[in-house]
Amino acid sequence: MQTRPNVELMKAELTEPIKDALTEKVSIRNLDFFYGDYRALKSISLPLYDRKVTAFIGPSGCGKSTLLRILNRMYDLYPGQRAAGEVLLDGKNIIDPKTDVNLLRAQIGMVFQKPTPFPMSIYDNIAFGIRLYEKVPKADMNDRVEDALKRTALWDEVKDKLQASGLGLSGGQQQRLCIARSIAVRPQVLLLDEPTSALDPISTAKIEELIYQLKADYTIAIVTHNMQQAARAADFSAFMYLGELVEFGTTDQVFTRPREQRTEDYITGRFG
Amino acid sequence: MNNAHMNMALYARRRRFNRVAMLLSFSSAAAGMVALAWILATLFLKGAAGVSLSVFTHMTPPPGSAGGLLNAMYGSLVQTLIATLIGTPVGILAGTYMAEYGRNTKLTSVVRFINDVLLSAPSIVVGLFVYEIMVQPMGHFSAWAGCVALSILVLPVVVRTTEDMLLLVPDSLREAASALGAPRWLVIQQVCYRAARAGLITGTLLAIARVSGETAPLLFTSLNNQFWSTNMNAPMANLPVVIFQFALSPYPDWQRLAWTGALLITLTVLALNVFARTIARPRSSGH
Amino acid sequence: MNTAVTAVAGNPSPTLARHKLMESLLRILTRCAAITVLIMLSGVIISLIDGSLPALKAFGFSFFHTESWNPVTEKFGAAAPIYGTLVTSLIAMLIGFPISIGIAVFITELCPPKLKQPISTAIELLAGIPSIIYGIWGLFVLAPLLQKYVQPLLIKAFDGVPGLSTLFAGPPYGIGVLTAGLILSIMVLPFITSITRDVFETVPPMLKESAYGLGCTTWEVVRHVVLPFTKTGVIGGVMLGLGRALGETMAVTFVIGNAHRISHSLLAPGTTISASIANEFTEADGTLYTSSLIALGLILFIITFIVLGAARLMLLRMKQSEGR
Repeated sequence: MQTRPNVELMKAELTEPIKDALTEKVSIRNLDFFYGDYRALKSISLPLYDRKVTAFIGPSGCGKSTLLRILNRMYDLYPGQRAAGEVLLDGKNIIDPKTDVNLLRAQIGMVFQKPTPFPMSIYDNIAFGIRLYEKVPKADMNDRVEDALKRTALWDEVKDKLQASGLGLSGGQQQRLCIARSIAVRPQVLLLDEPTSALDPISTAKIEELIYQLKADYTIAIVTHNMQQAARAADFSAFMYLGELVEFGTTDQVFTRPREQRTEDYITGRFG
Repeated sequence: MNNAHMNMALYARRRRFNRVAMLLSFSSAAAGMVALAWILATLFLKGAAGVSLSVFTHMTPPPGSAGGLLNAMYGSLVQTLIATLIGTPVGILAGTYMAEYGRNTKLTSVVRFINDVLLSAPSIVVGLFVYEIMVQPMGHFSAWAGCVALSILVLPVVVRTTEDMLLLVPDSLREAASALGAPRWLVIQQVCYRAARAGLITGTLLAIARVSGETAPLLFTSLNNQFWSTNMNAPMANLPVVIFQFALSPYPDWQRLAWTGALLITLTVLALNVFARTIARPRSSGH
Repeated sequence: MNTAVTAVAGNPSPTLARHKLMESLLRILTRCAAITVLIMLSGVIISLIDGSLPALKAFGFSFFHTESWNPVTEKFGAAAPIYGTLVTSLIAMLIGFPISIGIAVFITELCPPKLKQPISTAIELLAGIPSIIYGIWGLFVLAPLLQKYVQPLLIKAFDGVPGLSTLFAGPPYGIGVLTAGLILSIMVLPFITSITRDVFETVPPMLKESAYGLGCTTWEVVRHVVLPFTKTGVIGGVMLGLGRALGETMAVTFVIGNAHRISHSLLAPGTTISASIANEFTEADGTLYTSSLIALGLILFIITFIVLGAARLMLLRMKQSEGR
C-alpha cells in the first residue's frame, strides 16, 4: 500500500494557481486489467485533468499502452481481455458494459504508434469520421476538413491534393493527418499511443508542437518511450512499472524530485 | 457525456444497419456449414447403406446384379499413384528452378503465370489434350493416357507449393550453408529441401487429393472397364467414372454402388486433406 | 586458389569436378522442368486448335453464334453451351460472392476464437469434396427439392412481373440452369472465402483499431477500411472462383439437363461447354462432331485464360494504385 501514490497529497503539493484550474476529466479508480488470467494492471488510480497533457512513461511491458487502450475500450475488440474497476469520464463509468463503445470512441480520439491513414483520399480520411455521427452539408464539411487540417498544420501542405490518397503522404504528414482525423470528430479526450515512435526528429518536433497547441481544447494522454518528450510535452507524468502505477505528479516534480527510488532509477537511465 | 453535436438518429440507423449486416454475415457462415453437413450427411446415409465386404471383393456388376467396386478401386489407386510419380518430381524440379536458380528471372515469372493458369484450367480440357496426343494416335483408350492426364493436373499443384515452400526457407540458411563452402546443389538438396520438407509433402498430398476425385479428364482417356484389368495399355476402370456412369443409370443396384463409391472417394480425399494440413501446421508456425 | 584448396582438402579435383557436374546437372534439370510447364500450356493450345480446325473450317465464324447442335445433319454451333457456361457462372458468382464475403467477415470479425479454426477448416473441406460428389448430391437431393418447393414458388412469385416472369418461366424440372448455378455457387464458396479471409487478415490491426477508435461499427470498418484495403486480393479470389465455375464439369453435367438450346428461363434445362464435352465426347462419331466438341474445349480454355489473365492484370494495376 505504501507504494501507491496519494493523489490528494500530490494535488496539495501543486502550486496554487494550477490547482484551482484543475478539473478531473477522467478519473481512473482501482483499475485492474486482465489478459485471460494474467493481471496486466494492478489497481491503478489516477486522474486525467481537463485540458492538460498527461504522459505515461515506463519500460516496455509496464502496462502504459494497455492503460491507454482501456480509456476507449479498445480491448473490447479482443475476447479474453477484461477490465475491472472504474474509469469515469465526466463522472460516468465507461467500463460499464452498458456503455455504448462506438459513442464512447467517438468522444475519445486515439492516435497510434504508426500512422494509419485509411485507404481513401486525404479529404475522405477526415470527412469519414465526421459523417459517422453528423449530417453535415457539403460546404460545412469542406470547412470542417479545412479546419482540422489547419489545426494540425497540414493544410498548406495538402490543400492542392485533397483528393489524393492519404497513403501518398510522408510518415510525419500521415501522422498529422491521423491526428486531424481524430480531432475532426470533436472528441473531448485524445489518446496518443507513442505517436512519434515511427517518425524522424523533425516530424516529431512538429507533432510535439501540435500537442502543445491542442491541449487548449482537449484532454490529452500520451504514452511515450521518450523521456525528453514527456518532459517537454506533458503537464503531468505517470511512471508505471510491472503493471503498477509507481508515481504520478506534475512532470516537473516527477522528473526533478521523484518520490520513489524506482522512478529516479528509470529517469536517470539506471534501468529500462 | 457531452455529445450535443452528435446526430443520434443517424447513429441509431447505423447501428441497425450494422446489426443487419452482421446477421447476414452470421447467416452466410451458417449456410456454409449447413451445406457441408448436408452433403456429408447425405453421403453417409446413402453411401454407408451399401458398404459391405463384397464392395471390396467383387467387380463392377452388369445391370441388375450384385457386385462391388474392386476393379474401380484398383484402377483409381494405380492411376493416381503413377500420375503422382510422374507429376511430382517434375513439379518439384520446376518449383526448385523458380525459387532457387531462376529466382526473379523472366522465365520464372512467365512460368509462374502459366502455372497459375494450368492450376485453374478446366480439367476436362486436359482430358481433351491427352485424347489428342495419346488416345487418337494409339487408336484406343488406355490407362496410360489416364495417368498422363492426371499427372498434368498434379504438376501445377506441386510446382506452386514447391516454389512457395522453398521461398519460405530463409535466405540466411542458404547463406550459412554456402559460407561453409557447400555448392548450390548441395545447399538445395541438404538444406532447402529439408527445411521445406513438410511443405513439399503437403503439396504432394494435396495434389493426390485433387486428382483422386477427378472424373472429367478420365472420361475419354482411361475410359472405364467393367472387368478386372491390370493392362495399362487398355481401358481401366476408376472410381469417379464408375460413379458417374452408375449414378446416372436407371438401375437401383448401380445407383447404390455409386453412392458407396462416392462415400469412399470423399472419405479418402478429405482424409488426405486433413492429413496434409496436420503435417503443414506445426512446421509453418515453428519457423 | 586452386592450390590452397588442394592443400586443405588433399585430393580435391575429383570432388570439385563432381560438384561442378552436379551443379550444372541440377541447374539444367530444374530449368527443363520449369520449361515443361510452358510446353504443357502450348501443347494444350496447339492440340486444341489442331483438333478444332475441321469444325472451324466447316462452320467458320458462325460456329460461335449458331444455336443449332445437330449430330444427324452435322450442323454444330457453340452458342448454347457458351451461353449456358456464362449464365451458370454468373448465377454462381451472384450467390457465391456475397456469401463468401459474409463468411470471411464472420471468421475474421465476429467469430469467437474457439470456433475460428473449426469453421475455417469446414469451409476448406468443402473445397476438398470432389466435384462428382456435388453432382450426385445435386441430382438426387437438391434438384428434387428445388422442383418440389422452390421452383413453383419462384414461378408463382414472379408470374406477371415483366422480365422476371420469363426468367422464371415453368415448368419446374428440378434440373436446369438455375440448379447448376446453385451447385456452382456452393463449389466456389470455399475458394473465394479462403482467399478473402486470408487477405482480410493482412489488414493491420492498428488500421482497424483506428477506425473503431473513431466510433465505427464493425460493418463500417469492413466496408470502409478492410474491403478497400484488400480489394486487390478479394478480386483475385473472385476471379479464381469464376475460373473454377466456368470450367467445372462433373457437377454441372449431372444437373444441367443437357439440352442444346438457349432458353430465357433459368428453370429450363440447358448445357455448358464442359457438360457437352463430358456427355457427348465418347459417343461422338464423325470427324466434324468430335472436332466441334474440341472446338468447344478451345473456347472454354480461351475464356478461362482471359479471366485469369484479366485477374492478373487487374491485380498488378491495383497494386500500383493501392488505396485509391
